[in-house]
Amino acid sequence: MQRNLEKVRNIGISAHIDSGKTTLTERVLFYTDRIHKINEVRGKDGTGALMDSMELEKERGITIASAATHCDWKGYDINIIDTPGHVDFTVEVERSLRVLDGVILILCSVSGVQSQSITVDQQMKRYEVPCIAFVNKCDRSGANPFKVIDQLKNKLGHNAVPMQIPIGLEDRHDGVVDLVTMKAYYFEGAYGEKMVEKEIPEELQDEAARIREEMIDAASVFSDDLTDAILEEQPISEEMIYDAVRKGTNARQLTPVFMGSAYKNKAVQPLLNAVVEYLPSPLDIENEAIDLDNNDETVPLVSDFEKPTVALAFKLEDGKFGQLTYIRVYQGAVRKGDLLTNTRTGKKIRTGRLIRMHSSDMEEVNEIPAGHIGAIFGIDCASGDTFTGSGVNYSMMSMHIMDPVISLSLKPVDNKAEISMSKALNRFTKEDPTFKTYVDKETNETIIQGMGELHLDVYVERMRREYGAEVITGQPRVAYRETITRKSTFNYTHKKQTGGAGQFGRIAGYMEPTDEWFEFVNKITGGRIPTQYIPSCEQGFKSCMEKGPKMEFPVTGIRVTIDDGAYHAVDSSEMAFAAAARGAFLEAYSKAKPVIKEPIMKVVIETPNEFQGSCMGLINQRRGIIEGSQEEGVMSVIESKVPLSEMFGFSTVLRSSTQGKAQYTMEYSNYKQVPQSVAEEIVRKKEEEKKEDQK
Amino acid sequence: MLKKDLIKRSPAGRIIGEEEIDRVNFGAVLSRAGVGKTQYLVQIALTKLLKNEKILHISLNDPIEKIKARYLEAYNDLVDSIGYVDPQKALRLWEEIKNEKIAVSYNEQTFDPEKIRAYLKSFKKDDLTLPALIIMDGLDFDQDLNDTLKGLEAISEKFGIPIWYSMQTHREQDFAPSGYPVQLEKVKDRFDKAVFLQPKNDKIESVILTDENRSNEYYLLNPATMMIVE
Repeated sequence: MQRNLEKVRNIGISAHIDSGKTTLTERVLFYTDRIHKINEVRGKDGTGALMDSMELEKERGITIASAATHCDWKGYDINIIDTPGHVDFTVEVERSLRVLDGVILILCSVSGVQSQSITVDQQMKRYEVPCIAFVNKCDRSGANPFKVIDQLKNKLGHNAVPMQIPIGLEDRHDGVVDLVTMKAYYFEGAYGEKMVEKEIPEELQDEAARIREEMIDAASVFSDDLTDAILEEQPISEEMIYDAVRKGTNARQLTPVFMGSAYKNKAVQPLLNAVVEYLPSPLDIENEAIDLDNNDETVPLVSDFEKPTVALAFKLEDGKFGQLTYIRVYQGAVRKGDLLTNTRTGKKIRTGRLIRMHSSDMEEVNEIPAGHIGAIFGIDCASGDTFTGSGVNYSMMSMHIMDPVISLSLKPVDNKAEISMSKALNRFTKEDPTFKTYVDKETNETIIQGMGELHLDVYVERMRREYGAEVITGQPRVAYRETITRKSTFNYTHKKQTGGAGQFGRIAGYMEPTDEWFEFVNKITGGRIPTQYIPSCEQGFKSCMEKGPKMEFPVTGIRVTIDDGAYHAVDSSEMAFAAAARGAFLEAYSKAKPVIKEPIMKVVIETPNEFQGSCMGLINQRRGIIEGSQEEGVMSVIESKVPLSEMFGFSTVLRSSTQGKAQYTMEYSNYKQVPQSVAEEIVRKKEEEKKEDQK
Repeated sequence: MLKKDLIKRSPAGRIIGEEEIDRVNFGAVLSRAGVGKTQYLVQIALTKLLKNEKILHISLNDPIEKIKARYLEAYNDLVDSIGYVDPQKALRLWEEIKNEKIAVSYNEQTFDPEKIRAYLKSFKKDDLTLPALIIMDGLDFDQDLNDTLKGLEAISEKFGIPIWYSMQTHREQDFAPSGYPVQLEKVKDRFDKAVFLQPKNDKIESVILTDENRSNEYYLLNPATMMIVE
């Protein structure tokens, strides 16, 4: 592996589904000699593109899990994570962005910036990942890369600057003009592998000169040398432009835009040049960890091979030879046979086989040095765990993980299926922190929870295919929550002093709404409740949060303050105070005006203009709020917020209302109080279900 | 309480008259480019939002993100105009009212009132509360808008929703003999109310052109916020 970190790039390829990221990655691997034949996503030969290693991904033509790979380009070592585009799998995108130093944001030159591009962009912002943009599919009918650049500016707020202009568009797309070298590039050979440099066609010279001037003007903000050269009318060297654009990109204040068509093998090589030229090396990025031995203070991590090792496990995969753990090393180096500590569990592990992945093929290596991405075989850990070498007890910052919003019950068809299901669930929950599972104590059913219908569908399907677990799925259920809306007091005495060992405990105080899940405040003075019983009080209150006393949904957002109480020298016990806390909770909860909250989804519909009105009507029917609708050429985009419970079966309705011409995306937005009339209906249904279960 | 205070401070409510905003089929805000027509229209819409009534904001110029930003800005200006307000309270009120606004951005070339009719019909069909006001921003009144206005008039009458328009005038153009800007003169029979905005020193002067009771009432507005300068 490359030890000169200036020549290392850890990049991701992020974008909206179907904008061609897997196709692009395939081309990158071909041009960098990692593969010797190009397969298309959903290709005619039925093999599917190389990066889509899961069978299901090949079939659906989307990338579900990030496959890591690497390639060499002009002496640079490029590690690539192919990230999924569907919002339901954003935890994968988030994990990838956490460990990457830069991203290629792919946009379709026809459909432009779509809602999921906005989501991906927000994630990039959260992790401060610099990016360059590639406007793909310039060969498609209706391609307009400059419209996409405008959208990058207006919709995503990027300072997007074209670094190229296309030579022809749609079926006449032949190549690109590079605005730095001011040369035209064409791509010849069966797979466009021969990049031919020519003079700029005459008809494009004026346009190229004008856009180059704008580009240099935008870049000059980041370089005094370039500004001086412009002001003094000195010749502007290519190096000056590269340097200015690199600085702007790394500061996330400039997004250089490239264009081409991965499918038609146009302009992928210049994009690779841009990766090494503009995206940062691990040395350019400041990474931090939390020092667990020093009050969780943040400490900088240095890409120094000799310092104690710090590595983050960002992805797990179940392979033929056991668990494969993808890691990014931030400091030191992970070597074969090293003794590392998992700082979450405190367990020590001995590293076995180390590999560098090339999609589903592996290359064994002796070490993974700081700044690199690789994988370890045969260690047991969860995604997001930090491994450290001797001398440090660091944890990488926790990743932003959302709570699941939808659940589904599973029933295995037989014993064999039950065993396989259990194995599969164990694996999936380790791989994906947004996928959760538990057994419902009342119905004894296994419940899986996730971020959307497709998210759960994919896991059920994987269970069948990869583990042979045949399961019957129930109706998807919305993860409702309960919370209180006002302050209320309690003063509860738990007393059982009639025969046998007595029980006594009195607790008084109040509960009130809060933004946290649960808070407990102890304001007991003068030993009215002895200190040893306080944890039992807290535990008693906490135990009531699992299920609301009235509507039986998980409770959230309650702060309990205890400020008075009483005990009995003989009859008080931890158990008595826990019971008193439960009683106090019940007493105060009903007075605190409890309400049901439901997950609200951000739904974006893209429809031909003629169906805009009817699509907006569909949102209205579903208790949805239309945030806005915008015409973009022949298509309209409708942004809305709709309760998840109203979205089941929406794709069928949308298809029939728009002759199948509209599509939509959906992602979790927030929890919101359910209107009273709907709340009554939910409670009624819940009671019916309960009766049904009891039968 | 905050709602009432804000409604009271609303420049649109004070200049046009809170009740008068509804008593029209068509109303217009006129000025030359860059004076603040759209922001004034947004203030008109805010008086409805503050009563928890729905409004439909149609723009032929602005993308929806810009429309959303305009509303937030206008709301903040209104809040700031009453002195200190608990920021949490102001934020909660904004969260409550912002969802009553439906922003739609149409392409000017392909805009057709039928699109609005189809949408409003869906409200009727599902027995949902109709918007209480439509803002129509960006129609070019230098063009012949007879068919478009006819279509919109039919919508206003059928659904009982007042429509307020922005109408751009031009600095170099003389007024019509009636004293109206020529853009309004051509269509004045359709309009029940019109507010004219024009720069005056470092302020903006607002006057109602079509209300005899108020035609002598001049107000000076802060050009940055469109709030009345006391």
